[in-house]
Amino acid sequence: MNGVYRILEHPADLGIEAEGETLAEAFASAARGLMSVVVDPESVTVREERKVSVPGADPEQLLVRWLGEILFLYDGAGFVPAEFSVEQVGGGGLEATVGGEPAGGAELRLKIDVKAVTYHDISVRETSRGWYVRVYLDV
Amino acid sequence: MQLERIDEFRCLLPRSSLKGMRIDGLVYAGEKLAQQIGNDRTLEQVANVATLPGLLGHSLAMPDAHQGYGFCIGGVAASDPERGIVSAGGVGFDINCGVRLLASAVPAAEIATSIPAILDGLFAAVPCGTGTKGPLRLDGGGIDAVMEGGAEWAVGAGYGEEGDLPRIEESGKIDSADPGMVSDRARERGRSQLGTLGSGNHFLEIQVVSEVYDEATASAFGLAKGSTAFLIHSGSRGLGHQVCTDYLDSMQQGMARHAITVADRQLACVPVRSAEGRAYLGAMGAAANFAFANRQMITHLVRRVFKKTLGADDAPDIVYDVCHNIAKFEQHETGGVRREVLVHRKGATRAFPPGHPALPPAVRGAGQPVLIPGSMGTCSYVLVGTDRAMAETFGSSCHGAGRAMSRTRARKEITPEKLLSEMSRRGIHVRGQTRSGLTEEQPDAYKDVNAVVETVHGAGIARKVAKLLPLAVMKG
Repeated sequence: MNGVYRILEHPADLGIEAEGETLAEAFASAARGLMSVVVDPESVTVREERKVSVPGADPEQLLVRWLGEILFLYDGAGFVPAEFSVEQVGGGGLEATVGGEPAGGAELRLKIDVKAVTYHDISVRETSRGWYVRVYLDV
Repeated sequence: MQLERIDEFRCLLPRSSLKGMRIDGLVYAGEKLAQQIGNDRTLEQVANVATLPGLLGHSLAMPDAHQGYGFCIGGVAASDPERGIVSAGGVGFDINCGVRLLASAVPAAEIATSIPAILDGLFAAVPCGTGTKGPLRLDGGGIDAVMEGGAEWAVGAGYGEEGDLPRIEESGKIDSADPGMVSDRARERGRSQLGTLGSGNHFLEIQVVSEVYDEATASAFGLAKGSTAFLIHSGSRGLGHQVCTDYLDSMQQGMARHAITVADRQLACVPVRSAEGRAYLGAMGAAANFAFANRQMITHLVRRVFKKTLGADDAPDIVYDVCHNIAKFEQHETGGVRREVLVHRKGATRAFPPGHPALPPAVRGAGQPVLIPGSMGTCSYVLVGTDRAMAETFGSSCHGAGRAMSRTRARKEITPEKLLSEMSRRGIHVRGQTRSGLTEEQPDAYKDVNAVVETVHGAGIARKVAKLLPLAVMKG
């Protein structure tokens, strides 16, 4: 199955919960959820790919660093990511390929800034259906 | 968690509320606000903060407090520099997010027909929303000069006047800032964002001074009934967000070395005097200076639009500029002893009283202006700091209305068309970068700013000086 995500409520900000058959799929879905807050995904054309590699001591740290990397690509490196393929996650790191387009495209329908990814109420767990992750964002 | 009411404006959250609390919590709220604060996890967060090592006084929550991440928004926590901690989460992601009020002697009534044109001019001149770039790109070491100099850098670069600086908290420059402690990633996020408003709850409003409660103080602040004002709410943009992200990460690793455990990873902290603590405070100061420079550049753009639209010679002056998210070393009396403490303000405003030596001569006699923005379409207040704030809250007060409704719910409760028609009915012009961004910030998403201000006024931790009503709102 394709991973799914859902936007969660928070008194001031918002969260993302995502599921996947595998942990990698759940992480990829969470990244899609994150970028759906920033930009209408339908308005992004995949023109380039970027390799992403992050170390992390535990699944929660890996999730925050992975999404932080996506956020940096958008806010610091002028790249708007829209497609996420997590090739490996666990064992102290994550490897992924991210597809998107350079910032500034006239077709992009931008929404709001995400300031950061937080550890508030973070969750990474295995379920009967696969994997579930939850993370909150500061907007 | 149960609050124990002390008086009409104060409640105690006793240390018995949660295992591990080292100090009591103190919440400034009347019955209704206390009920609202109890609707989310604010009290749990006030209690969690009280478990951190080396805090002094109380774990404080202002009447606009609401659930945040780790620390609540509207929280104040003061740390003993010798045995206490510094926490990146205790300042928050938007380091030195704050507000700046500008006032013009020109009566708003005289320029009523020009307000839409000024708003259009501001919307064209001040970049807002996500993905926008400011008027400069700070290549190479240019960004370090901003992080070192803050508003002083901006004035030196032609964005303002020397006389602006004393009207800014810390004169617009935190001297202990150390750009060397800021990551390249944070620099990259900030390079193009100086002079941009941002999105979310950031805004730029044109206002009119509608009521003056204290003529002498208002006059010292440069405010008169009927005059036109501009309120700018913005922070350190991606640069500050990345500094907090970086140090939350490194503090988590540092905690193990210093044998500190916390109830929530977002509370990550290290001893103030540790290498990690000093590094964070240096980086935080650098990000705070970036925010001061950012609001200074926006001020310059506002003045330019004002002059161009009205053909006026006089541009609005700065009333004051306050930080809402910051940690600072200050002198306070605790347990009968005057000492240096590290005050974390996360969604709280410094509120120093008349005569405080840290205030510039221009406002020292009157006291520090405390700027309280309300929600879109309601009203804002100017207050002044008090001795009582020094005695009870480490010289702190509230910072705004405080959210009462999630963004998702706010969006569902009103359509952009209905919101704009409601604003128009009230005579308020609105420009927003996105329709959803506007509805997420609708007035009902916030607590009643009047109730918040009456609480701090009644409790005596700030005193009302003037009320301002919005004429036009620009949202990112």
